[in-house]
Amino acid sequence: MKIGPINIPLKEDFSLKSILGFEKTPMNMLVAVLTLAFLAMFVVGVATYLMHGHHAYNVTREHPWGLLIAVYIFFVVSSTGFCIVGSLGDVFGFKDYMMISKRAIFGSIVTILAGFAVIAFEIGHPVTMLIYNVLSPGLTSAIWWMGTLYGIYLTFMVIEFYFLLNNNMQKARIFGLVGLLVGLAAHSNLGGVFGFLNARTISNGVFYPTYFILTAFITGIYLSFIIMGFRYKMNFDEKTKTLLVGLAKIQTLLIAILMFFETWKMLTAIYGGMPNRAEVAEHIIHSGSFMYGEVLMGMLIPFTVMLLTKWRSVTTYVWTSAIGMVGIFFMRYDLVHDTQLKPLQMMKTHEYQLPPSWVEYFPSSTEIMISLGGLGLCMLLYYLGTRAFNLDEEH
Amino acid sequence: MARYGMALDYKNCINCKACEVACKEENGVELGAEKHRIWVGANNPEGQWPLLDIASAAFLPSQCQHCDDAPCQEVCPTHATYYDENGVVRVDSDKCILCSYCMNACPYDARYVDDRTMTVDKCTFCSDTRLARGETTTACQNTCPTKVRTFGDLDDPESEISELLRTREHFSLKSHLGTNPKLFYLT
Repeated sequence: MKIGPINIPLKEDFSLKSILGFEKTPMNMLVAVLTLAFLAMFVVGVATYLMHGHHAYNVTREHPWGLLIAVYIFFVVSSTGFCIVGSLGDVFGFKDYMMISKRAIFGSIVTILAGFAVIAFEIGHPVTMLIYNVLSPGLTSAIWWMGTLYGIYLTFMVIEFYFLLNNNMQKARIFGLVGLLVGLAAHSNLGGVFGFLNARTISNGVFYPTYFILTAFITGIYLSFIIMGFRYKMNFDEKTKTLLVGLAKIQTLLIAILMFFETWKMLTAIYGGMPNRAEVAEHIIHSGSFMYGEVLMGMLIPFTVMLLTKWRSVTTYVWTSAIGMVGIFFMRYDLVHDTQLKPLQMMKTHEYQLPPSWVEYFPSSTEIMISLGGLGLCMLLYYLGTRAFNLDEEH
Repeated sequence: MARYGMALDYKNCINCKACEVACKEENGVELGAEKHRIWVGANNPEGQWPLLDIASAAFLPSQCQHCDDAPCQEVCPTHATYYDENGVVRVDSDKCILCSYCMNACPYDARYVDDRTMTVDKCTFCSDTRLARGETTTACQNTCPTKVRTFGDLDDPESEISELLRTREHFSLKSHLGTNPKLFYLT
């Protein structure tokens, strides 16, 4: 398709018929039904939000950030992760990873769009944001830097993808490198959003800005396994196996580093004994979402399986990556919730109540529907991309 | 141009909550327990009946501390939170995008969402109401039956608040965070 000087090489058979004409295997049908169900939830969730505003969410004065912030982070971390994996081939020139570059860069565009779609219904005034982000920029705000840099990052990712589609590897490398750097800056600023909170001692400090980059890479590899498993229906050729074995080895190292980071974070928090920080850390390690979600699903299961199988069973890693992604979701959810666990006012303010101990939060059905809707949007856009573009490596 | 602050003789507080009511009435704050610009914190008396330690049932009236180095102002992505000419930390509701970052960054939980404008609201030291009419007291100060609060210009050496801070011991809440609050608790 040509629009002036812009040439977008769509697949020749791209049409409504090709979109609906997917192979009707049980797995494909399941994914299609799930996608449609999630999209329907998105519509219902957004309609509820438009009618009731933030009252449709379970966020409160003490817990102003809820599930949608966690899901936004989940998507943008996925985007940065895809960008890092995609850059291994087309920016850094690792030949074995070239075959996933185009698919991963497209994944990074799709996931960040899903993230933006979700956050648009959490920010109270998204249009005002676009206006005053430019007219009255708050340069001391990590949110301003994060949002602005993500906008620039998305632009670079789209341009890089365009050049990848047109097999212009030299320009793709330039835009890919700049996009990667901007993406990493944006992503560490997202960690900084939490790191700058000196009122929240559990999150304050350098940990999150660096941890976000590490977990983005891990997320990118988990997602790469999932999309490649789906693409090749678990029948990988030798070249793909080489790619996935390489990614599995990197992943093992990265998870080991993450476990090291997390262990020391908890040790210093608990045994450091800083008021507010120590008791929050103890509360966290006693929560199921941390132990079973983050540690077991996000780290231990994928790590142990890869070690025990000595990086030879790539089909298994597709499934452990799906488990890992559930763990990654809990990492994002816990990050947001744990930051707000400790009440800032320690005295009671109403009669007939007890002084606050921990701030409670559980997402409302509207928040859950919009979040799943974001996932549905992501799946739909990715599927449309696979139908419209050739995401495989061209020779 | 002034630098407004408030001194609180908090041990005189009897938790009558007249200040909370006056604030809502004067500034048109929404009804509802969650929607408050100021509040009175209370500790339950320690011990068991009948041996209750009455002195432990302290009351601590509080509100936005109008910090000189306000974390809420630093984190605002659109400069909706700003210092006015009197050093009062204010919110420009036209610029507020309700990202709620300020609510998370404020160490004093002094901010809430006004459902009418869907923006963040907080104490303004009655800048839009009483001070705008030329009065020199805030609603919470004016109504207090035990005269807990003294409001005034910290830069004016002749003001009552400056005199109080010169002559009385005082402390600030969470001052270790480096926020330089302008609310002072007299001991």
